[in-house]
Amino acid sequence: MDSLPAVVLAAGEGKRLRPLTHHRPKPMLPAANKPILAYVFDGLIEAGVSDITVVVGYGRSRVQDHFGPTYRNVPLTYVVQEKQLGSGHALLSVEDRFDGPFLVVYGDQILDSRIIGDVIEATGEGAVTLGVLDHNRVEHYGGVIMDNGRVVDLVERPTDERKYRLNAGVYGLNPRIFEAIRNAEPRDGEHSLIDALSWLVDTEAEVRGTLTEGLWVDATYPWDLLEVTRDLIQAGVVGESREGRIDDTASVHDTAVIRDPVVIGADAEVGPGAVLGPYTCLGENVTVGSGAVVEGSVLDSDTRVEPNATLIECVTGQGVHIGAATTVPGGPGDVRIGNRVFERERLGALFAARAHVGGGATFVPGAMVGPDATVRAGARVEGTIAGETEVR
Amino acid sequence: MCGIIGYAGDGRDREVLDVLLTGLSGLEYRGYDSAGIALSDEAISVYKSEGELENLESLLDGQEIPSVPVGIGHTRWSTHGPPSDRNAHPHADCEKQVAVVHNGIIENYEPLREELAADGHTFYSETDTEVVPHLIEHYLDEGLDPESAFRTAVSRLEGSYALAAVFEGSETIHATRQDSPLVLGLSEGGTYLASDVPAFIEYTDRVIYLEDGQFAALTDDEIVVTDAEGTVLEPPVERVEWDAEDAGKSGYDHYMLKEINEQPRSLRQCLRGRVDELEGSVTIEELAGLPTPKRVQFVACGTSYHAALYGELTLRERGVQAQTFMASEYDRSSVPIDDGTLVIGVTQSGETADTLRALRQAGRAGATTVAVTNVVGSSAARECDYTMYIRAGPEIGVAATKTFASQQTALTLLADAIEDGERRELLGALRDLPDHVQSILDSSPAKEIAAEYEDAGAYFFIGRGYNYPVALEGALKMKEITYKHAEGFAAGELKHGPLALVTGETPIFAVVTGDDERATKTIGNVKEVEARSAPVIAVTDGQSDVERYADHVLSIPETHGRVGPILANVQLQLVSYWLANRLGRSIDKPRNLAKSVTVE
Repeated sequence: MDSLPAVVLAAGEGKRLRPLTHHRPKPMLPAANKPILAYVFDGLIEAGVSDITVVVGYGRSRVQDHFGPTYRNVPLTYVVQEKQLGSGHALLSVEDRFDGPFLVVYGDQILDSRIIGDVIEATGEGAVTLGVLDHNRVEHYGGVIMDNGRVVDLVERPTDERKYRLNAGVYGLNPRIFEAIRNAEPRDGEHSLIDALSWLVDTEAEVRGTLTEGLWVDATYPWDLLEVTRDLIQAGVVGESREGRIDDTASVHDTAVIRDPVVIGADAEVGPGAVLGPYTCLGENVTVGSGAVVEGSVLDSDTRVEPNATLIECVTGQGVHIGAATTVPGGPGDVRIGNRVFERERLGALFAARAHVGGGATFVPGAMVGPDATVRAGARVEGTIAGETEVR
Repeated sequence: MCGIIGYAGDGRDREVLDVLLTGLSGLEYRGYDSAGIALSDEAISVYKSEGELENLESLLDGQEIPSVPVGIGHTRWSTHGPPSDRNAHPHADCEKQVAVVHNGIIENYEPLREELAADGHTFYSETDTEVVPHLIEHYLDEGLDPESAFRTAVSRLEGSYALAAVFEGSETIHATRQDSPLVLGLSEGGTYLASDVPAFIEYTDRVIYLEDGQFAALTDDEIVVTDAEGTVLEPPVERVEWDAEDAGKSGYDHYMLKEINEQPRSLRQCLRGRVDELEGSVTIEELAGLPTPKRVQFVACGTSYHAALYGELTLRERGVQAQTFMASEYDRSSVPIDDGTLVIGVTQSGETADTLRALRQAGRAGATTVAVTNVVGSSAARECDYTMYIRAGPEIGVAATKTFASQQTALTLLADAIEDGERRELLGALRDLPDHVQSILDSSPAKEIAAEYEDAGAYFFIGRGYNYPVALEGALKMKEITYKHAEGFAAGELKHGPLALVTGETPIFAVVTGDDERATKTIGNVKEVEARSAPVIAVTDGQSDVERYADHVLSIPETHGRVGPILANVQLQLVSYWLANRLGRSIDKPRNLAKSVTVE
């Protein structure tokens, strides 16, 4: 095919990224200052797609407000999935829009246009086509077993020793998929697109894999945003020069020190003597007070860092307030999510949206502060703090 | 109040009909009680219909529409004569040699009509506009060519107008303006004219703003602009920044909700480059050189008037003499003006006739004038000594939402530019404002509150100090889109009369921010209504104990006292929206209302 209409699945929350997904879905989390979804749209448009349907649901107004009716002159049609019952269920909400081949991608994985272009090219009238990649960490994602170009097995987070390729999450489909979604057995009440594809494989329909290459990045847990940012900066997608990475409307004091690479968004203000980077992103309208140090961190929009705070390997949500002389010495640390402990992750601390930290607080590596939580001045914080609570 | 559109293209790239209909839908906010188009080739065909644009579209559906080189269109909001097919534009002369669309009012239409009728012309409508095609016909009959006939006819008109005319057998559109907006567009595929840029922004961003008294002749490949004497001018071609994407609803049911949700973004734009928190400075480039005034007068209408009341308070707090006038009342009261007076016109569209009139009067009396507006190149922006843009982006919903927040924000900055004051905390609060608004949008219970009180017969809004304009605006929004009775009061005024109307069936929205004497007094007023068993919905930042006396709470983040009202208003916008939504109202185009009111 030369081009295909595309469906972008952006309705799911991305629960494993909580508490960053408070009020917004994973596709709207920032990766080097742009929502993940923007990279997906960019990839589609650069691969020649000019018809994009976006399935939205959880936190949908955030998607609609950010992108509006068109993105880079390509019209966006929004379709609402009221209840998020899986990626297959999401796709059913656009069933009436297609009677020929179409492309489906996830709105929460960053991928470049080469992968998309290769799948579009390989998609024919009859068959279903999956983009697959060679990847050294397939066990964390979706695995595909191929035989002579045909897909013979699809396994999520495979643990066996077979030679898996990575499912890049780019599918050239045709309306038969809707039948497959209906026929595949739901798991925990959810209809997954992977199960529907497996059903097609099992019914001996022709499901082909096309081996492709290009940038492919996914964040599974909140601290992955630090690595995703690093990957994107290293891949050169954020701007080659210092000037290209700092927005024209940002103001950085002459005496502030920038240790490249550093990305600074619109309207951000950096005070005298602040030290930024390397691998630091300041979102839109972030304030970094004088003498503060922000290293290897991702600060989302409207975050305010008061003077002389030290933040190493931090992730913040929107509108976080970090009081003066707060200290986050950086990872590695053990992160607790529910009953699970992730050991020695590179996370200094995570602050969810509108968390408020008083001056002089210190954070043991791996600390997670929930949305709207308050940490009083001088407190020492370890472990996970629930949203809307107060630490003295 | 109307909108006009015209397109000269040879049909090479796009059909004239399509351009006109797209243009009219982009202008619907200017009026929508009837719409019509005229297509001109060897003969002129006119199609028009009462009601919204859809009615015209269904009329056109199934008809054989000729492919023509030029056409004009009109969307109307009645000033003279009720909305009807007959009164809809375009209007033609007796022989259908010329068709005309018009926005504005021809003040001397009655004597002209009598003169023309005596001359044997037959009038079909009750509109002021219809005299124009007949007058043109009169001069055509005298042997003038179309352009001369158009010019001569226009020279006899008094009043305000943006006019466009097509002639049978001609591939040129003739247009002119006086005190009504008209903008011209240039593209490879033809030339355009319209009351406002969104009408043709889909096709081009290269525009010429026609000045009062200038004429334009539009053909497929060029626009010739001339002055009243016919001398050819070379007006600057400007590029407009609004892009077509701003015109869609982006997945929302209504523009109003889209625009409410856009407020974080529009506020960022309003503040961009103007506030430096770490330096502690405010810079408004457009106002460089603004003289320090002895006194300030605001003139405005509707929602803009409420923003102006807010602006007045911010200046008075800084010790500047300031007063706000409803623009329509300004000319009738004898207002003292001298060269130390600064008159600030607040108008979203920059075309509000009452406000323009007041500003012109003030300018003539020696005052320095400032326009605070959203529309680049609007009449207010071009006529005032200074212009400050609120940068909210296009607002399509008739009920103003994001532009009100941006007006308040701009006026806070403007007050700072006029008179220094305490600044550090204010600037921090302004930079926090977009996220604070976002936090309200994320978690407002307005939808549930609207459901609870949708059956009430009347809604009262009370506030004190900075929250008084919020109460007025909250009530106005409620009236506009729900068609319910709503009133805003200064909280202390309640007991001087309106309290008699308060019963257990009258929900009271009480706006209480901070924890000062004003808050305490307002809480006293809340207790008064509570004693009459009225349900109370408190809009509060949680600093006072008003929650104890309220049945429901609409929370806003704690912030600077001057910024809190901007946040409180967002909650009230949402309540009105959801209430109107439940009642199934025509939210984006409420009955009898138009977006920008260009008649006095």
